[in-house]
Amino acid sequence: MSSSVLVVVEIRNGAPVRASLEALGVGRRIAGPPGSGTVTAVLLGSGSESSSTTVAERGVDKVLSVADPRFDAFHAVVWAAAIAAIAREIDAGTILVAGTSNGRELVGRLAARWEAAAVNGVADLSLAADGTLMAVRPVFSGRALQEVRVDQTRAVLGLRPNAFTAPEPSGSKASVEAHPTPDLGQLPALGVVSGFEPAQTGSGPDLSEALVVVSGGRGLRGPENFRLLEDLAGALGGAIGASRAVTDSGWKPASFQVGQTGRTVSPQLYIAVGISGAIQHVVGMISSRTIVAINSDPNAPIFKVADYGVVGDLFQIVPALTAEIRRVRGS
Amino acid sequence: MELLVLIKPVPDPETRLRPNAAGTNLDTDGVKWVLTGYDESAVEQALLLKEAIPGSKVRAIAFGPAPRTEEILRSALALGCDAATWVEQPADTPTDPMRAAAALTVACQKTPFDLILVGKQALDDEAGLVGPALAERLGIADYGPVVDVRWDAAGRRFTFARAVEGGSDRVSAPTPLVVCLQQAWNDPRTAKLQNVLKARRIAIDKVTWAEVAAGIGSAAPGTHVTAFRLPPPRTGAKMIEYRTPDEAAQKLVRLLREEAKVLP
Ligand SMILES: Cc1cc2nc3c(=O)[nH]c(=O)nc-3n(C[C@H](O)[C@H](O)[C@H](O)COP(=O)(O)OP(=O)(O)OC[C@H]3O[C@@H](n4cnc5c(N)ncnc54)[C@H](O)[C@@H]3O)c2cc1C
Ligand SMILES: Nc1ncnc2c1ncn2[C@@H]1O[C@H](COP(=O)(O)O)[C@@H](O)[C@H]1O
Repeated sequence: MSSSVLVVVEIRNGAPVRASLEALGVGRRIAGPPGSGTVTAVLLGSGSESSSTTVAERGVDKVLSVADPRFDAFHAVVWAAAIAAIAREIDAGTILVAGTSNGRELVGRLAARWEAAAVNGVADLSLAADGTLMAVRPVFSGRALQEVRVDQTRAVLGLRPNAFTAPEPSGSKASVEAHPTPDLGQLPALGVVSGFEPAQTGSGPDLSEALVVVSGGRGLRGPENFRLLEDLAGALGGAIGASRAVTDSGWKPASFQVGQTGRTVSPQLYIAVGISGAIQHVVGMISSRTIVAINSDPNAPIFKVADYGVVGDLFQIVPALTAEIRRVRGS
Repeated sequence: MELLVLIKPVPDPETRLRPNAAGTNLDTDGVKWVLTGYDESAVEQALLLKEAIPGSKVRAIAFGPAPRTEEILRSALALGCDAATWVEQPADTPTDPMRAAAALTVACQKTPFDLILVGKQALDDEAGLVGPALAERLGIADYGPVVDVRWDAAGRRFTFARAVEGGSDRVSAPTPLVVCLQQAWNDPRTAKLQNVLKARRIAIDKVTWAEVAAGIGSAAPGTHVTAFRLPPPRTGAKMIEYRTPDEAAQKLVRLLREEAKVLP
């Protein structure tokens, strides 16, 4: 396997997404220390030049910026064509992609184009002594884990957000190169992206990427009481989620729903407030690192999946918790 | 409109998961294989489009071993699909999602299509690879994860929302096209008994393994599952003992910082 690693960095709102920075750390680890293998980061689209600096100080050897507005809207086929061409140019062995919506869609397409093996949803990655990549990934909604061995010399790996640590900026800076748009070959007829509708998820970070998620259930009794959770999420820098009981009642839009028919989240910390813990809810949050449940019913099933439980009235516990977090954070 | 919907037989979501004796995969003994998850919404979406666009036909296609694959194709027929294709996979042939995409490409190339609907990810392996890889092999565009696909007859395009972080993009795209469906935004229909019976008599087209192998070459799959295990059981929450809400909050925050290390 070539120890040249290509990391695809996605830009959103003018900055690299955190999951892509996490991928840079993984890239360094599997390429070996600087001087052994190389880590090349590639950025596509008009924002790529300004984002390159942030990327250059995260332990990579080289940053390629392809500042062509044709990449601003995400079309998997266009991105795959460009990245496969660059991977061939630098003789990459592994391509790492952050598991955002775009990234997850890119992996299979790029692997088919570049004739590589593909693994999506990687939560842990190791390199055997002979250079074989071994990936661990949750399957069945986090109810089981799979270990996957890569048996090809080329692989495209999609990494789960929040599963790896992003490297801090270091003193040294890699070289940034403006790269011409590669030959994209014959492209099929594309769709047209005509507009963006923001999800009504409040002001915090996006639910599927947040490090902390505070979710509310029917125990909140009404939409007005979500203010309590907003305060708590605000103190933690987290996002708000909800059970289906809440979205079905119209207290929150469907975009807040966590679970089997909603969104899957895997934050570092998930706080379930007034949620009973029905299996359809649990499958959407079970792969969170630490789960806290606050519920007045000591027999609520949520306590079976939680790490920490508080039996009590959420209307008393949540404000106390918010105050305590503000206190220790000194704000 | 010729609509293809790709469905994968997966274990019933109620299945109690157990690793096999070697710990290399799911123990499939006694597992009930079903059409469910995003694939079920893909079928529902295909049928809604068929109802909305006069003269449309829906064909369900599944790659997998007998008899489970035939059974889910029968469920799709019972729901209202017009035709079905079974893409044969000999029971002990190793496969992975990229290989499945290659096999399904062979089947799609044998039939005319305007739109191919797939799940955003299969309920078991959650790979999310097959749709995009299939589209690349077919040389057409794909979009995912999408909800709410409609046909704009005047513009001769499909329109849909593509879910991304923080919201969704409105997209309209010409045919031919692959879409990867996101979620059960619609409550999928259930089959009527008389249709279940009727579905038993519909002939299922077959793409043999020999045809598949001729189309995809003999190279081994690029990945192999070497271990399958259950996460350590959650033993139940550590319950916080307290007299006042403030004490509960202090104890919890201390544990989150010092033991779980999830708070700075
Ligand atoms: C096909 C299908 C798909 C589904 N998909 C989803 C999904 O994606 N997501 C989802 O969430 N659900 C889903 N559900 C619904 C799920 O089965 C549950 O009905 C739902 O999760 C219950 O929401 P809840 O916990 O908020 O409400 P409840 O079950 O009513 O629980 C409310 C909880 O609040 C507690 N409580 C009440 N007052 C207080 C108080 N003052 N202080 C503290 N605690 C209090 C109660 O003890 C109780 O445990 C699905 C169901 C089906 C059939
Ligand atoms: N063996 C298969 N037969 C038919 N369709 C499949 C098969 N495997 C995957 N698919 C389709 O591709 C989607 C994504 O699967 P995966 O990439 O395995 O997560 C599924 O939801 C199905 O629509």
